[in-house]
Amino acid sequence: MNASPEDAPSSSDYESLVIDDEGMLILVWPRGVTITGPAARHAMDEVNRICGGTRRPMLVDMATTKSVAREARVVFGERCAASRIAMLGRSPVDRVIANFALGRIPPRPPCPTKFFTDRDQAYAFLREGMNDRNV
Amino acid sequence: MTETFDDGRLDQLVDLIVQLSSGDLSARLEPSPARDSLDAVITGINLLAEELELTMEERIAERTLVLEQARIALERMALYDPLTGLANRTLLGDRIRQANLGSERGARPPCVLVLDLDEFKTVNDGLGHSAGDRILVDVARRLTSVVRETDTVARLGGDEFAILMPDISEDDALRVAERALKELHSPFSVSDRAVWAGASIGLCYGRPGQGTDYLLRDADTAMYVAKAKGRGNIQAFKPEMHQMASERLRIASELGEAIDRGQLDLYYQPIVELKSGRIVGAEALVRWLHPERGLLLPGDFIPVAEDSGHIIELGRWVVSAAIAQLRVWELEFPVTAFQLHVNLAPVEVRWPGMAEFIRDALDRSGVQPHRLALEISETGLMTGDVAGLAALMTLKNLGVGVEIDDFGTGYSSISYLRRLPIDTVKVDQSLIRDIATDSQQATFVSAILRLIESVGLRSVVEGIETAAQRDQLRYLGCLYGQGFFFSEPVPAELMTNLLAHQNSAPAG
Repeated sequence: MNASPEDAPSSSDYESLVIDDEGMLILVWPRGVTITGPAARHAMDEVNRICGGTRRPMLVDMATTKSVAREARVVFGERCAASRIAMLGRSPVDRVIANFALGRIPPRPPCPTKFFTDRDQAYAFLREGMNDRNV
Repeated sequence: MTETFDDGRLDQLVDLIVQLSSGDLSARLEPSPARDSLDAVITGINLLAEELELTMEERIAERTLVLEQARIALERMALYDPLTGLANRTLLGDRIRQANLGSERGARPPCVLVLDLDEFKTVNDGLGHSAGDRILVDVARRLTSVVRETDTVARLGGDEFAILMPDISEDDALRVAERALKELHSPFSVSDRAVWAGASIGLCYGRPGQGTDYLLRDADTAMYVAKAKGRGNIQAFKPEMHQMASERLRIASELGEAIDRGQLDLYYQPIVELKSGRIVGAEALVRWLHPERGLLLPGDFIPVAEDSGHIIELGRWVVSAAIAQLRVWELEFPVTAFQLHVNLAPVEVRWPGMAEFIRDALDRSGVQPHRLALEISETGLMTGDVAGLAALMTLKNLGVGVEIDDFGTGYSSISYLRRLPIDTVKVDQSLIRDIATDSQQATFVSAILRLIESVGLRSVVEGIETAAQRDQLRYLGCLYGQGFFFSEPVPAELMTNLLAHQNSAPAG
């Protein structure tokens, strides 16, 4: 019944991180990943590095993520270069994980953050925040 | 849309909740690949369980830390003195045992030093307990500064301290004792006042194959010998000291009975006017006519009386007996200017009933108060001793003479003497020992006498043993003296004879 460590993917690092044509950050986590504290830290550092001091909206594609470690949740609670975050998932499981990751267990997320299962709605939410850049 | 779950996951979820509620917070349930609403609930419960587990672990860690800190604090309370932070008697005992074990394995035997402050009671009574506490803390600091890192400084209680020196030679241990004595000889600063406490030290060198308890006990015995030998010195334990200690105990127990059984007596040593040789007074000195050990001098039992608490009772007897004798002489020699001097210990001076007791004794006898003088040792009164000063003032207000005894053995300044309600200063015999042969000493004594006179006080020099000393003092302008040259302390009948002889002889 308990999850065995052997089931966890060998790599916990993110899959890709880019700035798209609209100037939005797109962070994609691999399918079935368990996001660890160091992986979260690495992703945050990279986000801050490629933004170079400019705050941008960020789409986090975390569909079918297996779990988010507590240490990673602490990292996600820190203020970073993202001015607004849309968490994109597919299932109710993703929703629960996303809300634990950036949700109501302290610390609260440092910028407006919302979970979506629809990519377009996610983009719409982020575009609303384009004015937040450099805030 | 309604989902149905007939794959057994709901039952598994119930099992998970039962397992978690039974206290197994590590229980988890793997969500299915369906990732549907039931998997979302399973995931949520997994995450909540993880939070709960971590929170519990943190709380347990916190509580463990608090308990550990409490354990350390309790251990500290059990093994250390809260005032000074030094080891207490229990910890010292443990360390002595360890040091003895070390010596069995080839190290040199340990040495234990026991130290007692000489004037602490005077400081505590005179300046208050908080001043006393500050001195104890300073004593702890000074003692810690003279020892090696491997030594243990402990406070045994009150003003008694000990130092354990493991693996040390007798010479090195003695050097530590000398450094400790020197450190404690310097004045303590309390509320901008300098006070002296002094110390007596007993040492006991460990002997291979002997137990633990004897070290502390024998060092303590040696310390009492140091006290008996005039304080402010170091004594290393010798087996015969046990006999002295048991004798001391016997004296303490017999002293109470001695008063009731009339074994005490007063002897009188004349005080003379140097110019004329006439007796102008006498110092009353107590003697104990012990049924087995014969005549005991004050040095044999006064320190014991001070330590055992008999001193007040003894003091009352001395005052009563002296006033009764004074009344006899007053009636027999009514016109003679004669003053009887009685010694009071510092603790007697501060005893709240002493002034009233003396006043009542004078009233009952009819003796004029100015015929009685009370002598208080210089070291018994320290600068700023408010309680002692008030007690002296009360005595002075009775109309009796008040004088400082043994001047020159302590640290009083002349300007301090001026502020005391006294009329006479008795200069200690140690200052005049070489006065007839050492011109520098004569100059020094001359300066002291002039200073005493300059602040309006009378001086009496004690311990005059030769005609040369008498002549020199007379030459220096000293008016009064006392000592074996004139007369040793004599029983009342002989003193009466001396006074009678003087009264029958022509004046001059």
